[in-house]
Amino acid sequence: MLALLPRLRRFAIGLCGNASDGDDLCQMTLERALANRSRWEEGTRLDSWMYRIMRNIWIDEGRKVTRSMQTFVAEDAGLGVGGEGAQEASVELGNVDRAMQKLPEDQREAVLLVMVEGYAYKEAAEIVGCPVGTLNSRLVRGRDALMAILGEAS
Amino acid sequence: MKVTPEDIAAFADGELSGDREAEIAAAVAADPALAEQVERHKAMKSMLGAHYAPVIDQPVPDRLASMLAGSDAAEVVDFAAARQKRESRKRLPHWGWIAGPALAASLALAVFRPGQGVESSAYADAQLAAVLDERLVADQSQTDDVRVLLSFRNDEGRYCRAFSAEARGGIACNTENGWRLEATGTGNDGADTDYRMAGVGDGQILALAQEMASGPALDAAAEREAREQGWR
Repeated sequence: MLALLPRLRRFAIGLCGNASDGDDLCQMTLERALANRSRWEEGTRLDSWMYRIMRNIWIDEGRKVTRSMQTFVAEDAGLGVGGEGAQEASVELGNVDRAMQKLPEDQREAVLLVMVEGYAYKEAAEIVGCPVGTLNSRLVRGRDALMAILGEAS
Repeated sequence: MKVTPEDIAAFADGELSGDREAEIAAAVAADPALAEQVERHKAMKSMLGAHYAPVIDQPVPDRLASMLAGSDAAEVVDFAAARQKRESRKRLPHWGWIAGPALAASLALAVFRPGQGVESSAYADAQLAAVLDERLVADQSQTDDVRVLLSFRNDEGRYCRAFSAEARGGIACNTENGWRLEATGTGNDGADTDYRMAGVGDGQILALAQEMASGPALDAAAEREAREQGWR
C-alpha cells in the first residue's frame, strides 16, 4: 500500500486539481481502505481496488470539493500541481490543471486512468464501473475537450 | 470502413489486437489525417504524463505516510506480500520443485496445520532425533512409525528434514544443539491411506518446506552424503 501511495496521490491530485484537496482525498481513501481491507478480494489487484475506493469517495464527496475548486482556480490559476515550479512553468501547468477541471467527472477520470495512470481500457472500466466501450468514448470526448481548451489557450 | 475517433484512440493506446488492429493500422497508413489523429493522441498522453509525473517524485506528506506507518499498515503490507507469495506458489506445481528429486513412492504425508502446536524452541526428542539422524528417504519403508518426507537446506544453510508420524509431523533443522523443531503439526493418522499421496496436508507441509528451502530437496545421493557429514 505504501508503494502505491505516490501513484494514488497523482490520481487524487489529478481528480481534485490541486495538491491539498488531492491529499485530503488520499487520506480519506487510505482510511477507508484500511477500515475495509478485509473486503479486498485476494487474487485481485490491490491498486485497482484502491483506485476504485478513491474514485468512489471522489464521486461521493468530491462534488463540493470540485465546486470550491472551480472558484479557487478562477481566482488563482497558478496553484496547481506545478505551483512550486518556476513562474512560467507554473502558469503553463496551471493551464493543464484548469483544463482538466473543466472536464466532466466521467471524462476526467477516464483521461487520468488511461493517459496518466496507464491503465488498459478494461482495467480503467472496472475501476469506474462502466463498459469498456463507454470508457473508450469518455476518454475520446475528454481528450478532445482538453485539446480544444488547451488549443484556445495557446 | 468507417474509422471512429474511438478506434483511433484504442489503436494509439495499443488496445486493439488481431484483425481489428490490422484494419486500423492499414487505414492509418493510408490516411495522413488519421495518422495525425494518432499522433495527437499520443502527444496528449505524453504531455499529461509529463504534467503529473512530478507528483510521483514528491515526498509523500507525513500525514499520509504516517497512516501506513503503524501496525495496521504493516499488516496490510504483509497481507499484500503474503498474497504475492501465495500467487507465486500457485504458479508452481504446488510443491513440485522441492519434492521432485526426492519424491519417493513411499512418501507419507502429514496432516499439517502451520502454527498449531508449534513450540519454537523445542527440539526433537531422542527417538525422533535418531530417526532424523539416520533415516534416508530412499531407505525407509511404508510401515515405519516416523517417515522422513524430504530433506533440504534452509536459508541459513542448515539441513532441515520434513517428517511425518502418526502423532505428529513437522520440520526440524539441525543446529549445534540438535534437531530444532521449526514447525510441528498433527501427523498423518495412518488411516487416510487414500490421501497419502494427494491429501491437503501434504501441500501444507511441503509448501512450508518449499518456503523454508533455499533450493530443491536433496536427492538420494545428496541425502546420503549429508548424513555422512552429520547433517552439518
